[in-house]
Amino acid sequence: MKIAIVTTHPPGKGSLNEYAFHFVRFLRTKFENVSEIVLLVDELPEGEKYSFGQETGLIPVTVRVCWKFGAWDNALRIRKAVRESNPDIVLFNIQFASFAGGKVAAALGLLAPWMMRQAGFKTVVLLHNIMETVNLKQAGFGGNPLMENAVRQFGNMVTRFILHADLVAVTIPRYVEILESKYGANNVLLAPHGSFEEPSGEMPEAVPAGPPNIMTFGKFGTYKKVEVLVEAFERLLPAHPQAKLVVAGTDNPNVKGYLEGVRQKYAHVPNMHFTGYVSEEDVPRIFGESWVVIFPYTSTTGSSGVLHQAGAFGKAVVLPKLGDLEQLVVEEGYDGEFFEPENPQSLADAICRVIDHPERMLEIGSKNYLAANGLPITEVVDWYLIHFEQLLKK
Amino acid sequence: MEMLKTSSGNIAVLQLKGRFDAHEVVPVGAWLQEQVDAGRVQIIINLEAVNFIDSTALSSLVRGLKHCREKGGELRLCCLQQPVRVIFELTRLDKAFTIHATQPEAVDALQ
Repeated sequence: MKIAIVTTHPPGKGSLNEYAFHFVRFLRTKFENVSEIVLLVDELPEGEKYSFGQETGLIPVTVRVCWKFGAWDNALRIRKAVRESNPDIVLFNIQFASFAGGKVAAALGLLAPWMMRQAGFKTVVLLHNIMETVNLKQAGFGGNPLMENAVRQFGNMVTRFILHADLVAVTIPRYVEILESKYGANNVLLAPHGSFEEPSGEMPEAVPAGPPNIMTFGKFGTYKKVEVLVEAFERLLPAHPQAKLVVAGTDNPNVKGYLEGVRQKYAHVPNMHFTGYVSEEDVPRIFGESWVVIFPYTSTTGSSGVLHQAGAFGKAVVLPKLGDLEQLVVEEGYDGEFFEPENPQSLADAICRVIDHPERMLEIGSKNYLAANGLPITEVVDWYLIHFEQLLKK
Repeated sequence: MEMLKTSSGNIAVLQLKGRFDAHEVVPVGAWLQEQVDAGRVQIIINLEAVNFIDSTALSSLVRGLKHCREKGGELRLCCLQQPVRVIFELTRLDKAFTIHATQPEAVDALQ
């Protein structure tokens, strides 16, 4: 089958680019099911370009740059590219803010799955978050309560359009329940997130050499806020003067300049390092050097790729007590220390429960390693292929 | 978890008992691979005595189904308990697998 995937992809830095990278990496090995892959990706900044060769031993990938983050006409652009590519299946790898930071452009882009279905293409959406669990204010969408309510109503309408796809896959059981009960959907399925890294077959070293390395990883500024982590770090510095805080990643595209603002505000805090964008080849080093991975989230927007990565590298994690993340941790066999969201003292205490107790660090890291390696993304890709085949039989 | 391996004609049958999760996947996956490698690609897995299944275990069944189909065969399931059936419905894998109410029914369908 020929599969078109609407997504971001490295070197593009849009959200879900890493998920796409790993998904496509393994999809390219499924010769029994797949003949060709077309990536329908967003425009890159000047000077950058997508690089896919026609490597032997891998399924060929054709890249079509057809949409632009923030553009109002992304759905139309995507429809045109899909028609020209004429795939058997169109897969969307998206979340609510995939196509734009602005409300209207984001919503218009999310009409694309419905338009594909209308155009007669078998359409599957991998939806990484749902409107009902997004804290709009913290995600950068809500300005005041009236506006927030209006956005949520608008979001409900967009969700109904997304649910016109043949199948909508989500990564958390509660999302299935919400979409079925609230929208009466009968085309929603649970698909595991999967681990990005291939099992190495052995438990990585849980306590690297050197002083405590406290790391957070992601795209920051909306619901991933660094301030509470920096303030927690300040509180644990007197007891751990050599400790290092690594903020690995970039601004969320909706909040440009956020990390620079944090850097200036907390310029007096020693031992802080901002890595900027972390390329795929640097990911193992960044995780490998860390003692503990922190999730300074104020709300969640779906399953966490970073949690799966931390697990794949056998790392201990410190997580906020937020419904989705707690549920994911339990259901998928992960472990971690928890803190009260937006509470620096609670976060500092949770970090110390890890870095002051190597045996606990090792215990969490081991559990997370086993959980992450239980279901690598190559197997998740098989789940999708089974569903695609079912769809094509109809 | 207990594994009872039987056969019915050219159909390989595996009855599982207990909790089918990440810790139990390896022997089941190995048995499935053994059958496929030996060309026995008509397979029934009886889940009557399985009270829990997780995503890793589901994934091993998906892999088995895929390998059987690639060789022109089929992997069918039977006798799902309600909690296990719920997981298949949640993941919509109940649409991908053919699931029979009883083992004899599954055997008849594959013969």
